[in-house]
Amino acid sequence: MYSIEANQLTKQFGDFTAVDHICFEVREGEIFGFLGANGAGKTTAIKMMSGLLLPTSGTAMIAGYDIRTQSKLIKRNIGYMSQKFSLYGDLTVFENMQLFGTIYKIPRKELKERIMDSLRELDMEKQANTLVDSIPLGWKQKLAFATAILHRPKIVFLDEPTSGVDPIVRREFWKLIYLAASKGVTILVTTHYMDEAEYCNRISIMAEGQIKLIGTPGELKQQMGVDTINDVFVKFVKR
Amino acid sequence: MRTILILIKKEFLQVFRNPLLLSILVVAPMVEFMIFPFCADYEIKVLNIAFIDNDRSQISKDIIHSFNSSNIFVSKGLLTSKKEADEKMKHDKIDLLVEFPSHFEEALYKNESTQIAVTANAINSVKAGIGTGYVQEIIGGYMQDFAASHTPTGMSTAMMQQEMMKEMSKARASDDRRPSIVMPTTSVVPQTPVRINISNIYWYNEQMNYKNLIVPGILVILVTLIGCYVTALNLVREKEIGTIEQVNVTPIRRWQFLLGKMIPFWLLGMAEFGAGLIIMKFVFGISVQGSLPLLLGITAIYLFVMLGLGFFISSVSENQLQSMFIVLFLFIVFVLLSGVFTPTEGMPEWAHKINYVNPMSFYIEVIKKVILKGSEFESVMRETIVLSVMAVIINTGAVLSYREASK
Repeated sequence: MYSIEANQLTKQFGDFTAVDHICFEVREGEIFGFLGANGAGKTTAIKMMSGLLLPTSGTAMIAGYDIRTQSKLIKRNIGYMSQKFSLYGDLTVFENMQLFGTIYKIPRKELKERIMDSLRELDMEKQANTLVDSIPLGWKQKLAFATAILHRPKIVFLDEPTSGVDPIVRREFWKLIYLAASKGVTILVTTHYMDEAEYCNRISIMAEGQIKLIGTPGELKQQMGVDTINDVFVKFVKR
Repeated sequence: MRTILILIKKEFLQVFRNPLLLSILVVAPMVEFMIFPFCADYEIKVLNIAFIDNDRSQISKDIIHSFNSSNIFVSKGLLTSKKEADEKMKHDKIDLLVEFPSHFEEALYKNESTQIAVTANAINSVKAGIGTGYVQEIIGGYMQDFAASHTPTGMSTAMMQQEMMKEMSKARASDDRRPSIVMPTTSVVPQTPVRINISNIYWYNEQMNYKNLIVPGILVILVTLIGCYVTALNLVREKEIGTIEQVNVTPIRRWQFLLGKMIPFWLLGMAEFGAGLIIMKFVFGISVQGSLPLLLGITAIYLFVMLGLGFFISSVSENQLQSMFIVLFLFIVFVLLSGVFTPTEGMPEWAHKINYVNPMSFYIEVIKKVILKGSEFESVMRETIVLSVMAVIINTGAVLSYREASK
């Protein structure tokens, strides 16, 4: 069964087509990478799939629900991490997690346990009562991810989660992604770091709102006759 | 319920961690409330007056003298020419000029009609109006005494007064910088020297204390500001910093989210209103004449109107600057038309029509009636119903205009 099925999903802003009839499927528990230059339509596609933006035409099924008609049901089953850090800076780490956990109706006692577990995983137990504004960006990103999966969603959308983060934290971040995927969470992640693409089970390369290439990193490298995804991308752009 | 509670907690935490917002919310209004009523003053305490006496008779001297005994007028003495007077008025040395014609006394004794010219600097029309009113009163008083002690014939005092009024209103209507008010006086007296003394009793504000009106008015303005302004900035701020996206991807319901934002500011607004009432009592000596629960109840409804309006503005604006401009625009319209500072009775018909949708004008009515008159529910029922309907409409609008997903 597929977690995500996009069918002719399209978004137009006036004359400009940001996402142009894209079709793809993501299997349960898969880490699916969305690659592409800035402005290729990755964020627009993610926003439509997470219910923040209404599609102009076409649709997508998320966890078996239609984004056009069942957005409330979808929202219960997804986690989302925005390109722009969007937790409350004037609340503490714990307060942020408590706020979102409560909104997802996690029972009080269980919520506390989950927050503690997750802070232990992040190695941020000492920061529980620190204001989010005063922690470094890399930690903020890890915190945002932990908050996005606190309610144990079936699917998580990550929009450029590692942009601006140093390489060490990036590696740690990917460990967290793998940990979540191992628990059966489907992950759709956008990035423009080509090395990160290698970590994905499957990737798609977007340009001008369309999906130009799709497959496992190995398949794409073979298809283009190169050794790295970076070269795939360069070759693709030149073509 | 748990969802709304956690949202309320979040909002309070944010308010109390933001010293600037906290001071905007609490300190600024309170300080303003303590200062404004002393400045927004309609009372005319000093009027500079000068005279041109072309008659130099006993009567004209007596009249001039009677101005000295008033504690509002400060006499700047006798002037010799109209030109001199003009110069003084131009430089704001005098506010009023009283001019006696030659043969003034003679005319009075001969029972002929004669005129005293009163010129007022009408740049401040309120001051000019009040000034000429006082002049009229003093001269009128003198004429009455004069008439009582002299032979009666001719025009009755009442008629004379009427004539004067006509002249006054003519002068006031003109846009001239210094309308001349010409007062006809005659040596006149009723057949039987019956003196009618009119004594005024000003109900609900016996000392005619302007503070009784201004203080509740400023309280209304502050409650409105807290309700509308702060909330208008709040939601749009979350849009700007992006936190709203994180909320919008959750299954939270729109009304839950808005209620969770509204209740904290509603509580703050009520607390501030309460503090305002206490200041009103102990600093300005105005206590609530009517029922306190009634006043608080209607204030609660009014706050919901303003909070809803704030959120409506917030959800249709893209950024804080936009919503600030909208609030500022509405606020000025609300205040100027509501009758907080100027009576609505004098406003044109279209202004009255706008006031039908101006929540502030209904609320100020309630405030005046309940605080100053001690009115019961029956006499503010209309306002209560209107405000409740407004609260329902505007809050529905706010919920509907709030979009989790953009188009």
